[in-house]
Amino acid sequence: MTTDIDAPTTNPGGMFLQPLLGRLAVHGVMILLSVLSIFPIYWMFVTSFRPANEIFSTALWPSAPTFENYIFVLTRVPMLQMLANTVIVAAMTAGLQVVTGMLAAYALVRWRMRLSGVVHGLIALSWLVPFQVTMIPNYVLASQLGLLDTLAGLIIPNASHAFAVLLLYHAMRSFPNEILEAARIDGAGSSKILWQIVVPNMGAPIASLSIIAFISAWNEYFWPLLLSRKPENSVVQIGLQMFMTQEGNLWGPLMAAACLASLPILIVYLVLQRHVIESFMKSGIR
Amino acid sequence: MTSIEADIVLPKARAAGRAWVRRPREPITIAPWIYLAPALVLLMVWTYIPLVEAFRLSFYQWNMLPTSVPKYIGLKNYERLIALPEMRNALWNTLYYTLGLFPMSVVIPLFVAIWTQDLTGRARKIYRALIFVPMIVAPVVAAILWRWLLNEDQGIVTRGLDWLGLERIGFLTDPRYALATLTWITGWKLIGFSTLLFSAANSGINSAYIEAARIDGATRWGIIRDIRLPLLSPTILLLSMMTILFGAQWSFAYINVLTDGGPLKSTTNIFYLLWQYGFETMSAGWSSAAGMIAFAGFAVLAACCMWLTKRLAVYDN
Repeated sequence: MTTDIDAPTTNPGGMFLQPLLGRLAVHGVMILLSVLSIFPIYWMFVTSFRPANEIFSTALWPSAPTFENYIFVLTRVPMLQMLANTVIVAAMTAGLQVVTGMLAAYALVRWRMRLSGVVHGLIALSWLVPFQVTMIPNYVLASQLGLLDTLAGLIIPNASHAFAVLLLYHAMRSFPNEILEAARIDGAGSSKILWQIVVPNMGAPIASLSIIAFISAWNEYFWPLLLSRKPENSVVQIGLQMFMTQEGNLWGPLMAAACLASLPILIVYLVLQRHVIESFMKSGIR
Repeated sequence: MTSIEADIVLPKARAAGRAWVRRPREPITIAPWIYLAPALVLLMVWTYIPLVEAFRLSFYQWNMLPTSVPKYIGLKNYERLIALPEMRNALWNTLYYTLGLFPMSVVIPLFVAIWTQDLTGRARKIYRALIFVPMIVAPVVAAILWRWLLNEDQGIVTRGLDWLGLERIGFLTDPRYALATLTWITGWKLIGFSTLLFSAANSGINSAYIEAARIDGATRWGIIRDIRLPLLSPTILLLSMMTILFGAQWSFAYINVLTDGGPLKSTTNIFYLLWQYGFETMSAGWSSAAGMIAFAGFAVLAACCMWLTKRLAVYDN
């Protein structure tokens, strides 16, 4: 299956022969889909800047944009602390998934063992176990380990993921064998080969994995919902849920809170747009 | 998209075709196990052992308090669950979520991708950047912003209905509509992304086939039916499989944030029931038994999907 998204399409002559109406219809479909995708997010931003007396306005832009909703949120919920926590959790999760994935992928690619197939299958199939099925034993284990209401508790269970191992495994398999043979003949040990030869050449897959793992960890809701108790020990998704339960009909502040929770991800997207899309496309849905 | 998902489909076949082969005289070593240890230990501790533990718990009665001792009750949890109308309702809703997602995760994206294949240049890039965005929006954020858009009194959609002279709809409060609303929100996150996947696969089709067919006098629809759809079948099957296996799980956050399974249990599904039994009514045995039923059901579905994928997918070799 190809991922060449910008490849010229297969119908070079058609564009000019097609009647204008057809081309308009094509744009119409895409504009409709684009508006459907982006308008809800735009409306969230606009509402967050509306003063309280204008909250139900349907104007596309507030007449007097204000930050009062943001100030309200920041005084009610420890949002900044939660944002900092979420950055830590998401970055640590992504980092650890890269490391554990890299080590496991290297083992699977470098050595041929009788159990390789079994190990590979075991890792891949763990993806199919729904989290809701294992949540009670996981919760009990986390509480026995003293991980309830800690950031470590949010990170450790996600420190390894089948997806990370498989993505790096596929990337590593296409690494040229000759270079590794040469290094081996020069007497380089397996760990030296991994860290000094393989890893420096895996920039693209590592970047893809980091982007996806970071965004998934940022958006994770279920496990923090089980584990977190106090807002200041929790992540931003939980803060948002708490804020909605308390102040569910204060639409301005609620939208401001939602903006704060999504801003970091949207900024990452604005800066790395092409890379983000391609990372997700190459690896499918997670 | 590479074949990462295909790994789930054909794990053994994939593992067998590796590139770097151990030289025959290399002694059997523990080194690979040291490299594998972190990932394997984590998967064991947080996935497989809990799975076995959940299986064991499904035969016990336990309220999850550390001070109480689980009591063995054999198959009673299963017997009660199967007799419970709640369970049947949740299973029907799970089916509804899954089937309801199909138009948004497969059918519409497929047609949009083929319909808009001639788009090029800047317009294509802009559309691409815009329709991808819902994919990275957090489920909780998506839930909250749709709650605002669909608000029964002042939401922009309600205002639109007023303007059109239509009756107001209780999108999240009317049992007739709530399930459809949550399915829509789940699908909203997927529709653009699926379209991009289909577009990528579609523009990767070798244009020589299309040209050849056109010279032979094939119609536009004939080309779609006989060339494009078969060559898009791996993507169609993959997205269908993802929808079937994960669709009901994706909707969890929306149910939890927006309806808590209501109104009148109309939006609950099997995964939400697990959560309610476990953490709202504190009956670990029920939750685990329901979890095992769900897991077994989805395992059978997964096996069917893989079998179908192997049989039906057409690859361009």
